[in-house]
Amino acid sequence: MSHDSQTDPDQGRAPRSETISDYRRHTDDATLRSIVKATIDGIEIEVPFGTTILDAAKTVGVTIPTLCQHDNLCIAGVCRICVVEVDGERTLHASCSYPITSPIDIRTHTQKIRQARRHILELMLSEHVGECYACCRNGHCELQKLASTYGVDFYRFGHRTEERYGRDDSSPSLVRDMDKCILCRRCVRACIDLQEVGAYNIFNRGYETKVTTFLDRPMWEAVCINCGQCINHCPTGALHSKDMSDDVWAAIDDPEKHVVIQTAPAPRAAIGECFGLEPGTPVTLQLNTAIRHCGFDRVFDTNFAADLTIMEEGAELLQRLYQAVVEEKEVALPLFTTCSPGWVKFLEYFYPEMIPHLSSAKSPQQMFGAVIKTYYAELNDIDPFDIVTVSLMPCTAKKYECNRPEFHDSGFKDVDYVLTTREMAQMIMEVGVNLPDMPESDFDDPFGKATGSGVIFGATGGVMESAIRTVYELVTGESVENLFDHLRIMPVRGFEGIKYAELEIPGTAGVPDLLKEVIPDLDWLAGKTLKVAVAHGTANAKRVLENIRRGGEFADCHFIEFMACSGGCLGGGGQPIPTNRAILEARARGIYEEDEHSSVRKSFENPAIVQLYRDFLTEGPLGSRSHELLHTSYTVRTRMMV
Amino acid sequence: MQVVYRQQIAQEIEELKQEFGSDRSALLPILHVMQERYRYIPDRVLQSIAHAFDIHPAEVEGVVSFYSFFETREKLGKYVIRLCQTISCDMVAKDNVARQLENELGIKFGETTRDGMFTLKYTNCLGLCDQGPAMLVNERLFAGVTPDMVHQILIEARRNFVRSDFPCFIPSNVCRRGPILDNGTEPGEGLRAALEQHPEEIIAIIEASQLRGRGGAGFPTAFKWQLAAQDPDEQKYVVCNADEGEPGTFKDRYLLTEHFEAVLDGMTIAAYTIGASQGYIYLRIEYLYLRDTLLAAITRRRESGLLGDKILGKEGFTFDIDIRMGAGSYVCGEETALIQSLEGERGEPRNRPPFPVDTGFFGHPTIVNNVETFLDATLIVVKGPEWFSQHGTDTSKGTKLFSISGECERPGIYELPFGTSIHDLLKEVGAEDAKAVQIGGAAGRCVSRDHFDRTLGFEDLSTGGSIIVFGPETDMLEVARNFSDFFVDESCGQCTPCRIGNVKIRECITMLEEGRCSSAYLNELIKLGDTMRLASKCGLGQAGGNAFRTIAGAFTDEILGRIPGSD
Ligand SMILES: Cc1cc2nc3c(=O)[nH]c(=O)nc-3n(C[C@H](O)[C@H](O)[C@H](O)COP(=O)(O)O)c2cc1C
Ligand code: SF4
Repeated sequence: MSHDSQTDPDQGRAPRSETISDYRRHTDDATLRSIVKATIDGIEIEVPFGTTILDAAKTVGVTIPTLCQHDNLCIAGVCRICVVEVDGERTLHASCSYPITSPIDIRTHTQKIRQARRHILELMLSEHVGECYACCRNGHCELQKLASTYGVDFYRFGHRTEERYGRDDSSPSLVRDMDKCILCRRCVRACIDLQEVGAYNIFNRGYETKVTTFLDRPMWEAVCINCGQCINHCPTGALHSKDMSDDVWAAIDDPEKHVVIQTAPAPRAAIGECFGLEPGTPVTLQLNTAIRHCGFDRVFDTNFAADLTIMEEGAELLQRLYQAVVEEKEVALPLFTTCSPGWVKFLEYFYPEMIPHLSSAKSPQQMFGAVIKTYYAELNDIDPFDIVTVSLMPCTAKKYECNRPEFHDSGFKDVDYVLTTREMAQMIMEVGVNLPDMPESDFDDPFGKATGSGVIFGATGGVMESAIRTVYELVTGESVENLFDHLRIMPVRGFEGIKYAELEIPGTAGVPDLLKEVIPDLDWLAGKTLKVAVAHGTANAKRVLENIRRGGEFADCHFIEFMACSGGCLGGGGQPIPTNRAILEARARGIYEEDEHSSVRKSFENPAIVQLYRDFLTEGPLGSRSHELLHTSYTVRTRMMV
Repeated sequence: MQVVYRQQIAQEIEELKQEFGSDRSALLPILHVMQERYRYIPDRVLQSIAHAFDIHPAEVEGVVSFYSFFETREKLGKYVIRLCQTISCDMVAKDNVARQLENELGIKFGETTRDGMFTLKYTNCLGLCDQGPAMLVNERLFAGVTPDMVHQILIEARRNFVRSDFPCFIPSNVCRRGPILDNGTEPGEGLRAALEQHPEEIIAIIEASQLRGRGGAGFPTAFKWQLAAQDPDEQKYVVCNADEGEPGTFKDRYLLTEHFEAVLDGMTIAAYTIGASQGYIYLRIEYLYLRDTLLAAITRRRESGLLGDKILGKEGFTFDIDIRMGAGSYVCGEETALIQSLEGERGEPRNRPPFPVDTGFFGHPTIVNNVETFLDATLIVVKGPEWFSQHGTDTSKGTKLFSISGECERPGIYELPFGTSIHDLLKEVGAEDAKAVQIGGAAGRCVSRDHFDRTLGFEDLSTGGSIIVFGPETDMLEVARNFSDFFVDESCGQCTPCRIGNVKIRECITMLEEGRCSSAYLNELIKLGDTMRLASKCGLGQAGGNAFRTIAGAFTDEILGRIPGSD
């Protein structure tokens, strides 16, 4: 039931030089489906028409080096490291951008090619300021790796030592160190093609060319949603996240401080990659042990807060529907999710008039922070002043989110520090622990038991799936399993950029106790069809929002899940590098597996949630205490920089 | 206050969108208007344009910063003086003119006078190489500027150039005419002849003439047209490349002035042949003074049925031509960069394949041809292929226009058959004592005395027409430096070998000047030149090392072991 939006506001947005698929427009179907013969280093193969030389070479086991090429992005063909020799051509060609459309004879490592690659690499190194051992990408830098592969042992064309640009660490999420930039433009393409934010562009030309923001503003002033996709696509240390681990270590080392950490599901499905495991290998319980080994006092599962989010957001959805249908009030529908701070900031910047559509429910991270410094502090009789809340997130926008002025509802900064998956891995390595070798251990109480619903928040469509599981059952009194085999709500799963689904509410039961305060009855919902959509990557979000603006089909939706990053949290800007489609799929498998193995898979059945509403948030979802601690408001931002 | 201002700009842009269209190709025309209005492009204008076109402000800023004629930082003077710094002008004492300009205005290059009247800038080749030093004052071209003329020009500028007899328009010196320049055809004659034929027949005629592109690369014109003609796309474009940026070239400017009708005929014939309905002339901003005349000619043709709907009564044949201005970028002469620029992007060359003949302007089949190529095509259709192909050599047919400058007695435009030797050419222009000749401009190669028996033609020394003569006293290292500066300036900067390689060459030249370059390093740099030729994305980077390689190869003794300050 996926849905192709008719809107395509960014057709032709990417610089044209970067699209190689255009030739397809002028080719008939039979040709497009044909097979072409190619010879690569003497090996004859057959490839589908239009395959790039780079991809063709992979099929015969030849690795051609690349830098500006990235599976998630359109072709640039600018770094030139991937040049190969095409028989009969005067010059070498970039294999990443050369489509095979007729029989072709290719050489991938002749003397000319080797010399050209060495030269290109050495030219880059001559301009690359910085020493490898003082760089966060040391050991996993694409440039460094090539230098070692090609045996670079001296700087043939010299080596710049004085800085040209200096560092910009004004953003709470990311640091730009343009002296390490090799102008591959992957960040520019990510920010435009995937995110439609356009924080960066190429400025000037020739040797003066640089990547910068509009008016060369520092990052904190630039229109940036902090999603970190630029970081995740950067081949070098030119872009990296703002590392808070020193502050976290300081808190751990301070005996007065009670340091707790919440771990989100997406990092757990990915952190193993930093220790050489296959993407998607579940290490949740080993991670708990490793984190304790680092010195954290308690390890909690963010999933608990995810369940809480579902309760609050689900209640809000029902309330808005009731107001719209029964009370015929003007309420903002569809309701938009708010788990992804990058997405929220995107909306605040680009579609501020749609802020009322945002659910007032905080993201799980912030709910958890507030609950820890109130409920948990009370329960354990700890002064919230002494509690340091850390969260392990796949996300650089969370670093900015925890600093939003709104999030002090506990009376303190609700979440003190955010660590990305990469930073957590670094901390674990620093204490000399090999994650996969750790014994398993459980999360700490009182939030120990989370549901599968919380886990799948990590994947695109996960929030929607969890919401459906809970709302459907609360409303109809029927088991969702009757509709979806094994609770797999397939229409909202998968990596399609925009997904759409409809769900019929056959009949309704009485209002469950928990929602008594929210709505008086549910009869009005019987026979209605719930329309939902899911979009990930803010470029896709933009398509949906433009459609709503025009009164298109998405305007009739009731509930839409938006995630700033492609693939949802699994593809977050704080996740291990690289992230591509295949890796995303593997991480998703890890997450859905964890869900299937959970004993409880619906948020409202989570005993810790039930207990929280019984003992602490006694007025139930949307009650006054909930409002105080779990809900928030948003800020209109302007794109007008001048 | 601020809000009003912002709204005012937004409204101005809306109005300009009405005029230039609301797709992104309107970007450069709108930027030109705004720059003229505000004398620079304020940040708010960048932002408003971005919002008006639903693109990101950073993207617009990226486009603007690419072109050297756009200014975003500060208001330019009422008159912007751009002095040519390219080789031919450099050899005829442009430094003295520069010095005097600074003296008269009391500012340095790059600065604007306190009264906001004048801004001084250097620029690359203005296409007046036979009459240097050349200078542009807003859109007025001045040739043969001497230090004592500077004062007079500034006075006239302060008087808004009211004296209509004040010389600023310069025709070229045509020193040798041939069948092309003496063609004697009437406006529309070529087109009339063409419309009597079937498009396939026109391709056959052009093919029989063996015409190859006059812009430099020498691609067979008939083949290019045929590829575009056979594409099923309904929308196709014809583009005339009037960017003439190659240092030492000025023949296109002359053709646009004296033979424009035949060029327009050529474009229209091409449109008829491939099935295009829209044409563009991409005119370099340095030739802005020509625009109104050219537009008037286009309008006349519309009125006389040579453009527009049902051209010359031919049912279903609709074609129109518009002029689009460049904004100061040599690489925009490269056809894919030119198309990027037409689309309102940074003028960065595209990956090829796909080629413009199937994926050109906004993804549609587009043929890009040089001004001279269109002229030749017209004449071939009128006079027949043999008329053309009787001249030249086996692989390079016809006569060709050469722009000759540098140290010779008679610089100017020469129409010569392909196959002419350098030797004969030098005799003709009065430079038999030349030390070396640069064939093909900055992107070309340097030929030293002992190779003067080589000939002009695609099989030997290929050129779009630029020939620069170096006299016996020329310091070849200075020549190398001038070309190298040019490439560092003009590289689009997208690909590594060209962006950094050209800078490394320039650094090496500095080392040579200072007498501290080893032979080993020089050889390494010559090898780097090979890499640039092989691995760069476009012709600019591929040619970026040529001048250096050929000069370093032929004049090694002259450039090594210098003692700084000894001359
Ligand atoms: C850096 C560069 C600059 C160029 N400048 C021009 C130019 O100013 N005028 C031109 O006609 N062709 C220029 N060309 C060649 C064009 O790319 C293209 O080959 C030509 O316009 C095709 O026309 P033709 O086949 O009629 O020669 C340039 C090429 C390069 C690589
Ligand atoms: S060779 Fe130079 S001008 Fe051409 S694409 Fe590369 S950087 Fe740009």
